[in-house]
Amino acid sequence: MNALMIKALAFAAILMIATVWVVMSLNIDIVGDSVNAITMAGALAIAVITAAVSVKYINQMKTDTASGELADETWDGIGEYKNELPSGWAYSFLAVFLWSMWYGMFGYPLNTYSQIGEYNEEVLAYNAKFEEIHKNPDEATLIEMGESIFLVQCAPCHGNTGDGLSGKAHDFTTLGHFTKEQVLDVIKNGSNQLGYAMGIMPPGMASGAQAEEIAIYVAGGMKGEQPASFASCSSCHGADGKGMNGMSPNLVVYDQELVHHVLEHGKKGILGEMPSFKDRLTPVQEKAVTAYVQSLSN
Amino acid sequence: MFFHWLEKNPFFFAAAISIVISFAGLIEIVPNFAKAGKPLVDLKPRTVLELAGKHVYMKDNCQSCHSQMIRPFKSETDRYGDYSLSGEYAYDRPFLWGSKRTGPDLHRVGNYRTTDWHENHMMDPPAIVPGSIMPAYKHQFTNIADIETAYAEAVTVKNAFHTPYGPEFQRTRAAWDAHRPKVLADAKLIADDMRNKDVKEAVANGEVPEIVALIAYMNSLK
Amino acid sequence: MQSNAALEYDYSLAKKFTFLTILFGILGMLVGTLIAAQMAFPELNYLLGEYGTFSRLRPIHTNTVIFGFTVSGIFATWFYLGQRVLKVSIAESKFLMVIGNIQFWLYFVGALAATISLLFGVSSSKEYAQYEWPFDIVVVIVWVLWGVGMMGLIGIRREKALYISVWYYLACFLGIAMLYLFNNMAIPTYFATEGLGSILNSVSMYSGTNDALVQWWYGHNAVAFGFTVPIVGMIYYFLPKESGQAIYSYKLSLLSFWGLMFVYLWAGSHHLLWSTVPDWMQTMGSAFSIVLILPSWGSAINMLLTMKGEWNQLTDNPLIKFMVLASTFYMLSTIEGPIQAIRSVNAIAHFTDWIPGHVHDGTLGWVTFMIMAAIFHMAPRMFKREIYSRKLMEAQFWLQTTAVVLYFTSMWIAGITQGMMWRAVDEYGNLMYSFIDTVTVLHPYYAIRALSGVMYFIGFLMFAWNIYKTMTAGKELTQEPQFRTPMA
Ligand code: HEC
Ligand code: HEC
Ligand code: HEC
Ligand code: HEM
Ligand code: HEM
Ligand SMILES: [Ca+2]
Ligand SMILES: [Ca+2]
Ligand SMILES: [Cu+2]
Repeated sequence: MNALMIKALAFAAILMIATVWVVMSLNIDIVGDSVNAITMAGALAIAVITAAVSVKYINQMKTDTASGELADETWDGIGEYKNELPSGWAYSFLAVFLWSMWYGMFGYPLNTYSQIGEYNEEVLAYNAKFEEIHKNPDEATLIEMGESIFLVQCAPCHGNTGDGLSGKAHDFTTLGHFTKEQVLDVIKNGSNQLGYAMGIMPPGMASGAQAEEIAIYVAGGMKGEQPASFASCSSCHGADGKGMNGMSPNLVVYDQELVHHVLEHGKKGILGEMPSFKDRLTPVQEKAVTAYVQSLSN
Repeated sequence: MFFHWLEKNPFFFAAAISIVISFAGLIEIVPNFAKAGKPLVDLKPRTVLELAGKHVYMKDNCQSCHSQMIRPFKSETDRYGDYSLSGEYAYDRPFLWGSKRTGPDLHRVGNYRTTDWHENHMMDPPAIVPGSIMPAYKHQFTNIADIETAYAEAVTVKNAFHTPYGPEFQRTRAAWDAHRPKVLADAKLIADDMRNKDVKEAVANGEVPEIVALIAYMNSLK
Repeated sequence: MQSNAALEYDYSLAKKFTFLTILFGILGMLVGTLIAAQMAFPELNYLLGEYGTFSRLRPIHTNTVIFGFTVSGIFATWFYLGQRVLKVSIAESKFLMVIGNIQFWLYFVGALAATISLLFGVSSSKEYAQYEWPFDIVVVIVWVLWGVGMMGLIGIRREKALYISVWYYLACFLGIAMLYLFNNMAIPTYFATEGLGSILNSVSMYSGTNDALVQWWYGHNAVAFGFTVPIVGMIYYFLPKESGQAIYSYKLSLLSFWGLMFVYLWAGSHHLLWSTVPDWMQTMGSAFSIVLILPSWGSAINMLLTMKGEWNQLTDNPLIKFMVLASTFYMLSTIEGPIQAIRSVNAIAHFTDWIPGHVHDGTLGWVTFMIMAAIFHMAPRMFKREIYSRKLMEAQFWLQTTAVVLYFTSMWIAGITQGMMWRAVDEYGNLMYSFIDTVTVLHPYYAIRALSGVMYFIGFLMFAWNIYKTMTAGKELTQEPQFRTPMA
């Protein structure tokens, strides 16, 4: 091998090593995912074949001399040799042509291959792989699982830290799970969107100073002394505000029930509108985000 | 030899090229044409407001960064929702699948983003998504959308391609004048969920800022 | 047939189109550099208000480099080499001169107007076919004028057999004519109603999946007949002419040409893999893309073999360097593309920066290098002066070569990383990365690409300067050089 060839192949090798290094440093599995593996093999083929073949011919500029029988004609002084086809090129053409026939008949048969069929298989394989983990995850696993789901699905609105991007969506990091304004808004306007067994909450359950004190109490996480006026709420939300076992929303913590209702129906309030996530999360994933959301306010 | 002869007869040379390059297109495109153009059974064409929003999307060329084609991979259906179906695009002229995902796919963005979110995001993307490299589109809050052109387009596709727009879609200016209030009513529904005062005011005055039409279009992507 | 008595060729049209090539090259690459910088530093989106966002500028970049720079380069070289290999001066026909000049002015005005229309967001949105219908009509007229001029020149030729380059220019004309016409079929909505709305708006004749198929049958082959076919036509003339070597193999030329013509058209559906177009079409697109390596490499190898034994020319003639490197980048992009067309590879590559990486191997390393080399070769013959500075040319070569390498390596890594991050799942089977993670991680690569853009752009300015000085201050030549281009 001569110097030019070594340089070209070294360049190809550096490029590949850099690529693999970057990808691995992001915790991506190259060998386990066949698509990733084939892509890396393809990248390697591009780098090596181009380097090797082009340098092979460039080297001939150094070592070979032009020869052959010239055609009679010239155009503006340009002549043409009647040389035969380079055999490597000709055989490769033939081989690739045969391969393409194979590809269309057996690799991805033109009349039977279906990408949706392949998708269905991918989903089955996925389910088989993760079923075990998803059966009985413990709390710590759930929180960890929930975090990555939250960062992908919820963070665009609720922010990476769950703080609701300064009032643009619900803030999960505070003690109580509502702000005073949110509670006041619901007291004033009622609520009719979450689909609880108890049905709707009518508007105007309290007003004036009473509404004010209730709101402060609820927004404070229902700590301290309960104002007497809260009685107008306890009939539905329970004296402890925890929603009477899922009959109405829990006002204290983000329980599974609440998160489920919000994900199922979405929620429109004074901060804005949250879309419904119906069918976008599996039951395990729902459990996991709940656990994570709960962990945020602790 | 045949090729030597061909090289001395430019007319036949050109004819030979034309033949060789035409039939791949015929074989690949023609056989499926009717089938690939079929809409899903319950597919509705876009409203005039949504169509005007699509024009804003094309004008600001969002497809240079956003695709609208969810491929059948688990990783994509997890991220964006069900894989895309041919029949969903049957009224899209032009198609807007895009070829580069500098930003996320938007084919079903209407399922998981809402009016107020778009309002905030289009005004200042990095404020909502830290690290975003998407440009802010502040001018869409003041530019007025061209709803009349959208109406003209609806009428055109109705007449030329039987896109199922109702009987009120007619070629005349009178028909447009009659339809206009409907578009404004749709715009008001969007503006009600927004905060920007100038936008609300414009809609109240019978004008549709581009952002309102764009959000109507975004919300219709489901 | 005539004797070999030297003919006076008329270079006025070739010169005019050369100026446009340089003008649109500067404009297109300046915008390219700006949008590359915007992806690394988004603040740069706000230099020109509404008109300066990445999304408005991107089509200006693509259309200016394709329909401005590359097409001017094709016209310029045609009006130069067409005469020479057909052995006829265009000035022998008044008609052809008039047609050529109308073509030039209509093209110039049309291209400027179309660019401005894109700046204002007047766009029919299909990639590389964004011009709205009035500009499409101008494009068609310009193209027909070119065709008439080309056929006319061939009609009055003295050289009986068509040289290889002419095959390719002819194919370029026919291919683009067919593709452009079909893909841009649209109904102007103003005329389909009682004059409602904007006169510029039109609606595509095709919808959804069909529109996508027609678009990428066009898009892929626009690359074929715009970025490949005419550029191959150029190298078949300028490399042997500059080096004085005979073409290595007529047979290889022949098979590569007809192979390319036949295979290219089938491959368009590789832009639509995993989409909603029927599976069998996707399979055809994939398979034919792999086959396409061979007819593509055929031309490149033929060129490299033409230089057999000419190592000294490679080392001491920068013009030969440009062309040999162009062949090599042509080989790179025509094996990279096919491999990206393999279904599994495309599952990663599609939608990522690896595609723009592949694109610029071709456009920067192959198309632009070849067009610049052609102009370097033509300039002393058109202006009857030596190339102004060989040193500048050498420096430009190394600067731009480094730039291309930086461009494609950074986008290669960025694209593969991005594609794999989109797919990655954590140990619980949930998506590992939010979308924005996959954006922010690319920042360093975008920065490198922006730097490479600056380098390449500076290289292009050096080129423009060199040609300008050649025209105005190059040493005058008394006799047209036969082969090697004289340079100071
Ligand atoms: C008649 C029963 C009833 C009474 C009385 C009632 N609520 Fe409710 N409340 C509900 C129901 C049912 C919902 C869920 C409604 C829905 O589907 O949107 C709800 C929702 C809420 C919510 C929104 C929960 C969320 O997560 O979005 C708040 C806050 C709230 N109630 C606070 C109060 C306060 C404070 C009072 C007393 C002033 C009160 N409620 C009195 C039945 C009641
Ligand atoms: C498009 C924006 C958006 C997305 C995405 C989003 N949310 Fe929300 N969410 C909101 C907004 C806005 C509110 C507040 C509505 C209000 O009360 O004004 C909210 C409220 C909530 C609440 C209600 C709290 C309460 O006590 O009533 C919960 C729980 C919640 N989000 C959980 C989630 C989870 C879990 C995810 C992800 C799987 C998610 N959200 C994704 C915008 C969003
Ligand atoms: C320079 C590239 C770029 C352009 C141009 C661009 N975007 Fe984006 N877009 C992004 C990036 C990057 C993200 C992801 C980060 C974020 O959410 O801001 C994004 C996100 C989005 C989202 C959120 C989608 C989701 O799933 O979170 C929407 C909606 C959107 N863009 C709409 C648009 C519209 C409409 C336009 C045109 C008017 C546009 N974008 C132009 C890059 C771009
Ligand atoms: C054998 C030859 C080639 C094949 C098979 C090929 C294949 C491909 C493939 C598979 C893609 C990616 C499609 C996607 O997933 O989005 C692509 C994109 C592209 N290629 Fe090539 N390529 C070839 C040569 C070239 C050359 C020589 C150039 C230019 C100089 C070029 C320019 C482009 C462009 C501009 C795109 C981007 C299209 C878009 O906007 O999406 N290709 N090519
Ligand atoms: C200074 C040199 C250049 C720079 C810095 C540059 C930069 C860019 C950038 C940043 C993009 C957008 C990529 C994206 O959306 O992710 C792009 C697209 C493109 N450029 Fe360039 N460019 C340059 C020169 C050229 C030239 C000379 C040509 C053609 C002759 C060209 C043809 C294209 C094409 C066809 C696309 C679209 C690719 C696609 O859609 O996949 N560029 N360029
Ligand atoms: Ca593209
Ligand atoms: Ca057009
Ligand atoms: Cu292609």
